[in-house]
Amino acid sequence: MTARVVMKLRVEAARLATPGVLHLTLVHASRPELPAWEPGAHVDLRLPDGRIRQYSLCGDPQDRRTYQIAIKREDAGRGASRWAHDALVEGAVAHVSAPRNNFPIREAARHVFVLGGIGVTPGLPMARSLAAEGADVAVHFCARSAADAPLLAELSAACGDRLSTWFSAEGRRFDPRAIGPYSEGACLYVCGPQRLLDAVRDAADALGWPETSIRAEAFQATLDENFKPEPFEAKLASTGATLHVPADRSLLEVLRDHGVTMPSSCELGVCGSCVCGYRDGVVIHRDAVISVADRQDRIAPCVSRARVSVTLDL
Amino acid sequence: MVEAFAHAAGSIARHVPGGAVGFKGVLLHIHVAPAASFEMEELAEAQCVAGRGIVGDRYYEGSGTYSPKPDTREVTLIEQEALDALARNDPPLQAGPIALAPGDHRRNLTVRGVPLNHLVGRRFRVGDVILRGGRLNFPCKYLEELLGLPVYLPLYNRSGLNCGIERGGVIRPGDAIELLDDDGA
Repeated sequence: MTARVVMKLRVEAARLATPGVLHLTLVHASRPELPAWEPGAHVDLRLPDGRIRQYSLCGDPQDRRTYQIAIKREDAGRGASRWAHDALVEGAVAHVSAPRNNFPIREAARHVFVLGGIGVTPGLPMARSLAAEGADVAVHFCARSAADAPLLAELSAACGDRLSTWFSAEGRRFDPRAIGPYSEGACLYVCGPQRLLDAVRDAADALGWPETSIRAEAFQATLDENFKPEPFEAKLASTGATLHVPADRSLLEVLRDHGVTMPSSCELGVCGSCVCGYRDGVVIHRDAVISVADRQDRIAPCVSRARVSVTLDL
Repeated sequence: MVEAFAHAAGSIARHVPGGAVGFKGVLLHIHVAPAASFEMEELAEAQCVAGRGIVGDRYYEGSGTYSPKPDTREVTLIEQEALDALARNDPPLQAGPIALAPGDHRRNLTVRGVPLNHLVGRRFRVGDVILRGGRLNFPCKYLEELLGLPVYLPLYNRSGLNCGIERGGVIRPGDAIELLDDDGA
């Protein structure tokens, strides 16, 4: 069960962590304490036009008074980060949901992190908490240069000599083989751009890391330009109703049209809000949130589809 | 919105005599939320508009979670006594006591000394505003998910009252709440 109430937070401090990354400290407009969270958690930021964007909490979970998020300005993006950089100045109000965690710390004998650029945000509190517990942890942080590496000072203070930095403009491009060979019980966390995720997955595969030992967080679902959506039928297990999902509409939209209201948030296959169960049917998974093991009976109806037909546990 | 006394529950109760009389309750808190899922905000006074709702609330704006469904929801009330019971873990339907602060329960008015379950089909006043009891509120799983608290079961039968506004006006915490003589049952 996850609390998702939208809170009115005030920007207590806004500073540029790097020239392109805005680091915000948020406090509740009227309450002294914010809902608790675990390292790896994110919040939803509501834009004035109703859109929702996810940002990892990068502060300290022990600090119940503030939330910290860092937002990279993406001039080629869909406008959310530009809005945030321009509007979220000190004293501004931000509508933010209670935290949710899709990227929790696993039980593991060894924790290896590969963080690329703004991907540092969930990794910082995770690595800090593991380092404080004295866990076996190694952190690789990749950026163009030290000046372009957001929250580098904080990560360095938290990790000490467990941190390796990789700055390509300074002649140290990240070599994914630096993650080392798999050892029993180890867990690999990767967070950053898709390119980095792909490179690390390839290296991990070659170094014997099983799929189940890898946790990846992309704040953008896999974009496959060659994917061509086909129409299919969705059957509701509870009522037996069969809904037609045309090629140009999502399963989530069609469910909504028929009064089946599901929680939803990013509608990009990233946040996991709309995930539900299914039986019978070949599902084309296009989300970035359901683990491989869970894909046999869980589907993200905002982006995923089916071949011919699927029966939903609804 | 469905007019309170046109609601299936209100229209029947309207013609059945009985219920609680002679009580005198008090309005403790007023809360509104600007949109669905948004945290409630406490008001020191609120403008009630007949046939519509509380100015600034999601159901006044038509942007509430249940706004697309026709129903009586211009003003919702809950008893402080029910919240006190949850805080005592009474009955013990969940792991332990639940602190449900006024404003977290997402009803507009928190009241004390008002037998809400007996006000379906009745007219009563809150200060100078006249409300019509339309139907009993029903706890929803949505609230449970929003709060992250197991409130669904313990709120059964004491989740409050959904009302229509017969006569609008300004209400404030401290306003008296009383049953009115019926004028047209």
